[in-house]
Amino acid sequence: MNPLDLSRIQFGDTAAFHILWPLMSIGLALYMFVMEAMWLYSGHESYYRQARFWTKIFILTFAIGVASGFPLAFQFGTNWAAFSAATGSFFGNIMGFETTVAFTLETASLGILVFGWKRVSRTVHLLSNFGVLLGASLSAFWIMVANSWMQLPEGIHMQNGLIIVDNYRAAIFNPDSLVSFGHMWVACIESTLFLMAGICAWALIQNTRGTEPYTDEKRARSAFFINAFKYCLVIAIAITPIQALLGDMSGRVVAEYQPEKLAAMELTWNTNAPGTGAPFAVVAWPQAGGGSNAAALEIPNALSILTTHSDTGTVLGLNSFPADDQPTVVESVFIFYAFRLMVLIGVVLIGLTLCGVWYWYSGRLSIEKISKHMGFWKLWVYAIPLGFIATEAGWMVREIGRQPWIMYHVMRTADGLSSNLESPVTALVIGVITAVYCALLWLFIYFTRRIVQSGPDLTSPLP
Amino acid sequence: MSDSMLPLMWYFIICGELALYILLDGANLGIGLLSLLPQQESERSRMLDILGPIWNANETWLLVAAGTLFGAFPAVYAIGLNALYVPGMIIVVGIIGRAVAFEFHAYAVRKEIWSRIFGVASLLVVVGQGCALGGLLGGISIADGHFAGTLWDWATPLTLLMAVGIFCSYAVLGYTYLIREERYANKSGSFNRILTYAGLTGVALLLATLLLPRTNYLFFTRWSTPPSMYALYAIAVAIALIALWFGYDAVRAQHPERLYYQCLLLFAFGTAGMLVGTYPYLVPPSVTIFAAASPANTLRFMLWGIGPLLPIILAYNWYLHRIFRRQMPQETLTGYGE
Repeated sequence: MNPLDLSRIQFGDTAAFHILWPLMSIGLALYMFVMEAMWLYSGHESYYRQARFWTKIFILTFAIGVASGFPLAFQFGTNWAAFSAATGSFFGNIMGFETTVAFTLETASLGILVFGWKRVSRTVHLLSNFGVLLGASLSAFWIMVANSWMQLPEGIHMQNGLIIVDNYRAAIFNPDSLVSFGHMWVACIESTLFLMAGICAWALIQNTRGTEPYTDEKRARSAFFINAFKYCLVIAIAITPIQALLGDMSGRVVAEYQPEKLAAMELTWNTNAPGTGAPFAVVAWPQAGGGSNAAALEIPNALSILTTHSDTGTVLGLNSFPADDQPTVVESVFIFYAFRLMVLIGVVLIGLTLCGVWYWYSGRLSIEKISKHMGFWKLWVYAIPLGFIATEAGWMVREIGRQPWIMYHVMRTADGLSSNLESPVTALVIGVITAVYCALLWLFIYFTRRIVQSGPDLTSPLP
Repeated sequence: MSDSMLPLMWYFIICGELALYILLDGANLGIGLLSLLPQQESERSRMLDILGPIWNANETWLLVAAGTLFGAFPAVYAIGLNALYVPGMIIVVGIIGRAVAFEFHAYAVRKEIWSRIFGVASLLVVVGQGCALGGLLGGISIADGHFAGTLWDWATPLTLLMAVGIFCSYAVLGYTYLIREERYANKSGSFNRILTYAGLTGVALLLATLLLPRTNYLFFTRWSTPPSMYALYAIAVAIALIALWFGYDAVRAQHPERLYYQCLLLFAFGTAGMLVGTYPYLVPPSVTIFAAASPANTLRFMLWGIGPLLPIILAYNWYLHRIFRRQMPQETLTGYGE
């Protein structure tokens, strides 16, 4: 394989793994902050216990997130030197903001958050918790600004092969950046909520097995996890519909500014004639070599309605773009199904939330009734990976759909590569890093399982 | 501020960030190297406990320097990492290992695995940094604004000496940091070991300085033509004399606190000497500060965005170090909720 393909694999590999951890860091930091603030506000010890318990898992996600993020930052230079040299004056600038403005705040606050319980006042500690949340969110914001500028490089012009920034406001707040940041930030919260709710469900199932009547200790532990489950549910009610809305906004930005990507992710080959609507394909399979679909199950006019909010809105097809300027057929099929998977999961998570609310409303979320509704709790355990899968699928649509451009309509991916890379070296790096990443994921699951099994500390003195 | 001053301004900011990184994380990496020496497991655990709250904030300075370098001097970031692909990836793997070793050590039942990974990962980072610095000073071949050499150009005798020098100097820094800690019990004979490592550092860096003009033409010119050669010799002799004086003082006074700050000073002098020797080049002998700089409007925008934050970042890092400075030996940290 050539260094270009290998470098793309290396970047995709490291990015796909790295994204899991900031996702959880942001979600857990928000939850911890809400709990600690509630504790200071109300004085109820149970909120403090919540904050302390989930911090243990947060520490793991943060450490692995930092560790897996380093290769990404270095890779812009090692594997994509031509891209970095050309775009550094904006892209590098934004990465500089990410490290100085966001990451330093997060790491320094984290030291106090983790080790400072007996060394600083409660208010300073709450502030450090907020610093972690703000730092992590700002980090996500600057990364999304950098990435959305690769999607829509506005406010710049090229001069002698280098980017000159003409308008910072236009470059930073391009039409994609705020919508995409919102979509991603909410994805962080949503994925983490379903992870946490799934962990609670798992702990409740474990706690119930073969133990009736309850001991006081087990009862306290189950009460802890049921409370956490309910808090997650409350946040999920607000978050899941917002995410659907942000997804719709995000889709319309793509439709307006990246029509090739939209056509590829919908496998739409021909532009709809004026006065007619473009259909939405639920499933589709293209002819060999592209040009049209061999088979498709379509809903009439639905794609026009989704992207333009009008039943006869124009949706450009892939055939109206030069073949060199659009994703390949294989890439298109891939993102077609990745997109549908993401949407499907979004709908399933809304349904699961409503189901949870119904169980709560009808009084079935109590310690005594856990063993009667095992199916319900197991459903939440199975849902643990869904949010993460949806996020990964969404990112694949976003990044693969941009091909063959590294900077949309400005620079091709092949032109961004470093000089004189050697395939065996890059292949070795991919092998080593992937092996390390797999080990880290395994260790995370192992340690998290142990943390949950040993349960929250409900007796130590308050700080 | 005039446009021509902006690249210089950023050059000094990035040098400052890198110097902070070396001074702060250098000690942490040095402690990692020392953890590889044969000793009791409880000593190793104590090393990790001492670093727990601060290592992450220290390491962040490397990311800060890299991020600002990317924005202010993108050509250097691109060409440098392209040429130093292999050392860069060694550093990355080391950093991954070190970052997770701390937290897994805290959670694990069999802690010795993780204290070992902490040591080995620190070693990888140190070796990678030595190779990168050697490769950079040895010269990177550039044609048409792109890296034009092979991925193995950095592997020279100069690089070997640099790696040895950095290894020993970090060990010195790690030791001097540790013996100030009341919780660190293994202090007997440490002054002698510090002096040994310091001597080895001196020898390795002296040999590297002698080899440098043969490897990179720029340094040959500078070290052999007046007036620059007089200035460089004067600086080298001055640093050597100060080092000897500090060494004498260390033997005589055996004062850990003073020794630590003397070491920091020496590191700062050494770094400053290297900067004087390479100015105005970022990648000697081909890329200067001014040739590699981003356009003035970018540098100005970055200065407004980042400049006011740097004092704030410094302030809360200082606050962090103050909170966790020299814990009492009997006090246990409650961070991981155990």
